[in-house]
Amino acid sequence: MQLKGRPAVVRRGLIAASCALLGSSGARGQEAVTSGGGAETDGGQIDWLFDSALAYYHENGRVQAIEPVVNIRIDDGVGESINFNLTYDSLSGSSPNGALPSNKPQTFASPSGKSLSAAPHTYTSASGQTSVESAPIYTTSPGQLPVDPKYHDQRLAVGGSWQMPWSRLTRASIGGKVSYEHDFLSLAANASIAHDFNQKNTTLSLGINGEGDAVRPIGGAPLPASDYALFEKTGTKSKNGAGMLLGLTQVMNRRWLSELNLSVDRFTGYLNDPYKIISVIDTIGDTTGYLYEKRPDERTRKSVYLENRVAWSRASAALSLRYMTDDWQIHSDTAQFRVRWWTAGHDQYWEPTVRWYRQTAADFYTPWISSAATPTLLYASADARLGAFNALTYGLKYAFKLEDALDQPGSEFSVRLEYYQQTFFDKMPAPAALQGLDLYPGLRAILLQVGFSY
Amino acid sequence: MNRRRLRRLLIVGSALVASGCSSLGVKPWQRDILAREDMQLDSESLDNAIDDHLYFSKEASSGGRSFAGGGCGCN
Amino acid sequence: MRMTGRWTGRLLVACACALAAAVSRGSSPLDLNSLHGRVVYLDFWASWCTPCRQSFPWMQAMKDAYERQGLSVVAINLDQERDDAERFLQKFHPSFDVRFDPQGTLAEQFKVSGMPSSVVIDRHGIVRFTHIGFRPADGDTYENQLRELIAEK
Repeated sequence: MQLKGRPAVVRRGLIAASCALLGSSGARGQEAVTSGGGAETDGGQIDWLFDSALAYYHENGRVQAIEPVVNIRIDDGVGESINFNLTYDSLSGSSPNGALPSNKPQTFASPSGKSLSAAPHTYTSASGQTSVESAPIYTTSPGQLPVDPKYHDQRLAVGGSWQMPWSRLTRASIGGKVSYEHDFLSLAANASIAHDFNQKNTTLSLGINGEGDAVRPIGGAPLPASDYALFEKTGTKSKNGAGMLLGLTQVMNRRWLSELNLSVDRFTGYLNDPYKIISVIDTIGDTTGYLYEKRPDERTRKSVYLENRVAWSRASAALSLRYMTDDWQIHSDTAQFRVRWWTAGHDQYWEPTVRWYRQTAADFYTPWISSAATPTLLYASADARLGAFNALTYGLKYAFKLEDALDQPGSEFSVRLEYYQQTFFDKMPAPAALQGLDLYPGLRAILLQVGFSY
Repeated sequence: MNRRRLRRLLIVGSALVASGCSSLGVKPWQRDILAREDMQLDSESLDNAIDDHLYFSKEASSGGRSFAGGGCGCN
Repeated sequence: MRMTGRWTGRLLVACACALAAAVSRGSSPLDLNSLHGRVVYLDFWASWCTPCRQSFPWMQAMKDAYERQGLSVVAINLDQERDDAERFLQKFHPSFDVRFDPQGTLAEQFKVSGMPSSVVIDRHGIVRFTHIGFRPADGDTYENQLRELIAEK
């Protein structure tokens, strides 16, 4: 944990700390007193750290997003701290709906729509009121990947955590988070405990977390695997999850730290993406209709994560590896390597990073369903997130310390740029009518972020 | 295939635990480099949070990481 | 944390074997024997140890208050890079004795098991208290311990 030496007030207790923090405006920026005054102090110093970033994300021809994030940490200097964070993100653009490109034009209804007809409909609500609405639809030209062009989503997430020491070698923490979107609400809580051994060279930690989500899609949650054109949608669904993580951190030598984490989690409930459909095609490959996707109502994941960090005087490097497997038959490998180069004055750094990712498809992933197979279908999804692909990220971060300029240790301004690309493999052979169409377009995106810490 | 891989990684991890704990490490006063900001496991938590959000929305895997331990070991 | 009378007598020997070569400021070695008769607060610190930013003002206050009554504060620095230690000292400019032990010889001798650590030695050269870590809330307790030892003859 990074502590900054910024004595502001001298009082014990976190509640007192927060009140004092709010009340004391002029005290920041003072250096530690070097003499006297000792008799009156009855407690520690309160440090706070403000961390913020603004990220812009842009997918080639698809969605873009803007995401400000803020994190505030208040620390009493002797092991107790609280954390508040706030994330907002706004996503808009074209989002693939899961259907396949076709040689003929295709028409889809926006999530709020109830029919594929462009003509206005008269709707009668339960209270007897009638309204006339024009059904929002969108069409896809032949050969194009079907995307909802007016996709937009906003999310606001607020979280907090509290870390407290239990003894010199043990500490615990609890935290919670609420995430709100107009069609999704999530509540999560976590707790963890960590204990040090071998003069703090070894740390063992155990964490548990739980989550409850309400899925409230626009237009209602579709009946899984039902015919798209029937628009059988009803109300709100929910899903819940719980997980556990076991961590072992070991100091290897003066320059090398190693961390191993084992985790498992399980989600149950409505795990479908309510806006995703699957194209049903005949033997030649022409689209005859669509079905809503259907995923199992349970998912258990296990992962192993290993990270190693090494440092020299002017540079440091971190290599992390993760292997994940679940009962949907998805297994993934992730490898990320980061190097930080400090400049001679140790006030700026450059940090290139590369990440390699590979996942296999879920056993029910299918880019299309043949009409002959529909009666025997159990689960199916054409969501690209569940497919088999490789992904590569290249990134570069530049930062300069503002510690001297702002007289605050830990102050920093940074800029980060990342390029992310997904490429599918393991492609199913396409029937005649779909030859020449790009059925697995993949993804290319950039992320640009500016950050400021104080 | 995946079970074998998982088992292999677990063996590596357990070897780390078994061989490691009492013989590996440094004296409490030799943690100068470990105390450095770029050697903290949670040093770039905001960048990681933004990246994790991106990968969570585009990939099927998420999480798996915590960040207890390391650092200066003070108090 | 307290350790009462565990190293009776052995400490005198240890001091004698001192660390003359290893622990010095400029060229004068630390000789704990010369402090026999005074209460010694021996502190082990480093520039990267954040609680040390709180222990230094407290140690300064102790020195100012009790030096005339027989307290000696000696802070042993364990930084590997002397520059880091000097930078820290420029910020806090303590008036108590600071010595440098980059090899950690004295730290080994006193079995330092956490940073920072302090060892309180009475007027007869016996280690009476050992503290691992520094918390400002403990300042009063530590001060009472010092007063207790200073009062002893």
